Amino acid sequence: MLDRAGTLLRGELLERFRAGVDSPIAEDEFNRLALRVFDYQYERNRPYAAYCDRRDRTPASVTHWSQIPAVPTAAFKEVTLVCGKPEDAEAVFRTSGTTRGPERRGRHYVLDLTLYHGSLLPTFAAYVLPDGAELPILSLVPSAAEIPDSSLSHMISVVMDRLGSPKSGYFATVEAGLDIDRLHAALRTHEEAGTPVCIVGTSLAFVHWTDHLLAAGTRFSLAPGSRLMDTGGYKGAAREWSAAEMHERYRTLLGIGPVACVNEYGMTELFSQAYDVALRERVKSLGEAWAISPAGDDAAGVSPRVKRAPPWVRTTVVDPDTLEPVPPGAVGLLRHLDLANLGSVACVQTEDLGRALDDGGFELLGRVAGAAPRGCSIAMDLLLEAAHERRS
Amino acid sequence: MPFEIDAFHLPGLDPRDVDRWERRGYGDDVVLRFPVLDAGVWREVLRRLGTARERALAGRPVGDIVAAVDAAAARLADNDDPLRRTAESALPAITGYSLPMIRLTLDRMAADWRAPVLDRLLTCELGDPRVLDAFTAMPVPRSTVTRRVRALGPDLAFHIFAGNVPGVAVTAVVRALLVKAAVAGKLASGEPLLTVLFARALASVDSELGDCLALTYWPGGHEPLETVAFDAADAVIVYGGEEVVAAVRARTRTEQRLVVYGPRLSCGVIGADALTRGNGPALAYEVARAVAIFDQQGCVSPHVVYVERGGEISPAELARALAEAMAGIQETLPRGRISAAEAAAIHDARATAEFRALSGEPVELFASRDTAFTVIYEENAPFTVSCLNRVVRVVPVDAVDDVERELRPVARYLQTVGVAGVSGARLTSLAERLARAGASRITTFENVPWPPAEWHHDGGEPLRSLLRWVDLEYGD
Repeated sequence: MLDRAGTLLRGELLERFRAGVDSPIAEDEFNRLALRVFDYQYERNRPYAAYCDRRDRTPASVTHWSQIPAVPTAAFKEVTLVCGKPEDAEAVFRTSGTTRGPERRGRHYVLDLTLYHGSLLPTFAAYVLPDGAELPILSLVPSAAEIPDSSLSHMISVVMDRLGSPKSGYFATVEAGLDIDRLHAALRTHEEAGTPVCIVGTSLAFVHWTDHLLAAGTRFSLAPGSRLMDTGGYKGAAREWSAAEMHERYRTLLGIGPVACVNEYGMTELFSQAYDVALRERVKSLGEAWAISPAGDDAAGVSPRVKRAPPWVRTTVVDPDTLEPVPPGAVGLLRHLDLANLGSVACVQTEDLGRALDDGGFELLGRVAGAAPRGCSIAMDLLLEAAHERRS
Repeated sequence: MPFEIDAFHLPGLDPRDVDRWERRGYGDDVVLRFPVLDAGVWREVLRRLGTARERALAGRPVGDIVAAVDAAAARLADNDDPLRRTAESALPAITGYSLPMIRLTLDRMAADWRAPVLDRLLTCELGDPRVLDAFTAMPVPRSTVTRRVRALGPDLAFHIFAGNVPGVAVTAVVRALLVKAAVAGKLASGEPLLTVLFARALASVDSELGDCLALTYWPGGHEPLETVAFDAADAVIVYGGEEVVAAVRARTRTEQRLVVYGPRLSCGVIGADALTRGNGPALAYEVARAVAIFDQQGCVSPHVVYVERGGEISPAELARALAEAMAGIQETLPRGRISAAEAAAIHDARATAEFRALSGEPVELFASRDTAFTVIYEENAPFTVSCLNRVVRVVPVDAVDDVERELRPVARYLQTVGVAGVSGARLTSLAERLARAGASRITTFENVPWPPAEWHHDGGEPLRSLLRWVDLEYGD
């Protein structure tokens, strides 16, 4: 629940969000909104205000949104970053656990779900369903009812509810994992009926599922117009998978071509998401005919995988060493200013490596968090676990 | 244009016979070239190594070996020597360390391969180094029994190297040579070059000894090449992380000698006696230097410094002084180049500390504007492994003896403990506790980065661990 000033600001933001992802927010308007959001957060988010004070970046001194202090994602693990009382939150999303134990999970308090939904729905619709299709959305992720603190589950639940056909459903539970039999039965039904589907899940879930498909020799030839959305890295998998490798699997095992595979870039700490632009652009240029183009030969024009967030997010790239902005086109760490984060902190410093593109999109080059350090002293995770054992 | 260097030493292998090369780039400046070997060629290299050892090494007096190693080390210690110049021009790009750090490391490491130091090592471990050459009378203490003993090293010691601290692998090669073992080495991708330059230096002063070393790199997990080396070697020496060590352990034969140098970490302890206004800056400088050397990537590098309360300056004041000293060291011995991931880990550690401080926890952050150094003062903190590259924690304790309890969770990884401000009976008592906590080396902060050649490396005996002893139970 936002306070009165927040509700007013939310109203303005929602109006902007409703104008859709194709309605650009001019620089001066974005600046005006961002500074108001900053002012709002500085007044209500005490740890963030202290962080800003230490940097001499306060509403009194900041005149451009690029000067607004960015909070590293690690901060969400240490402090409660919320513009108000945490107990007033309508939901709390948590980052996935690490070897460092549950108390180290980041927490993002959602004071107002309408703003979150107001951002995620038009963006998902624009990038995953740019043709306006109402498809069965088949989720490889357990439902929000089961894991209410997962922002991904929440997002999929909202999307399914608002944008999916009645044949949508969940094909995984926390207890049993992926329900392959049910999933395959549903897919066969849609395959035979010629109904296109939209499969959504974590990249890791897709790896495990396609491993199974390969081992079992199972193939699907899903109806034209079928698509999938994968998201997240490969932490916990035996190795990293390239987009090209996964696309090849999706094409041969499911009959979904690279253009129809939309990778989402999202994180617990941000209420808005970015997506691959390829499907949207294909639909824009070909209209409904996009789905009829054969799955196999549409890889051209897909790489590099350009991502774009809605216009109420501005992405900048900073030098990993100094955290100062890099020259245009240079590689560095991504920093996002997301106006949908009104109730927490808008400007978030990630550990993701990328490059900004001229048109406001960006290229994601990898997630650097958790990389093994050099040196002869290290067995990092084991050591962290050892250190943790003492606390618990 | 990057410059390309052959980073292998494979006696008898004619580069013209190599069909395929692996090239690894390090930054924009250096490319290292390695032959892509097939198992047959590698087996042949190792066979020749055996022949060379029989001819030139097995029967050679240890004193001769020391002299040859000394002459090779002299080349690497000489600033005008072409091999030294190659090391200085390529190692910064390969390892990421700054040039001053590389120079310091080369100087200190090469000094450890000089004759007086090697003689000390031999005497320290063996009593009488002549046991390596012939049956030598060794008195049995408190007895009239006389016996002669002989110590034999392995024929072929297969070394698997890891890490990027230059010189660690050379020290291992030198130890093997001293016990007259031929060396097959799988170099570490993090720093493969210096060992090869050493082999070239050795070959230049004594070509027959040079023929007893075969060093190259291949990507880990190359089953055929590794199988050949495991089959041929009678000793395996492995440096590496838990997984590598476990994998090597699993494939070592029972009769094969295995020496393991696994992951280690180090810390510091400062007693209140050293925490005076007068002594503070000098002490902070020694601690800062111990952290800064190898950019904290050495197994000897401290992750946490425990500081006793009750001194003239407080633990938090020492943390501040430590940060000031780190800033000074950055001028003379700059932190090297790090990856985006490493930089992000530093920002992560800082953000964590800063936000904990902002929410009222007893945490203070002292850091450079860039990522050059970070000191985190933190009360009641469990042992926290550093993300390295000069990120050190200062944790106050009521009494230095409390450190034993703090170190318990990391006991099996603990190696060096730098100590200051504790002396006499308190030092012996602290040393007992640190020994129980797993430490294998307790020393001054000044000496922390540079273990002496004769140290009990990770609690073991570097030469004796390679040896087999033979007793001749007849007097002379």
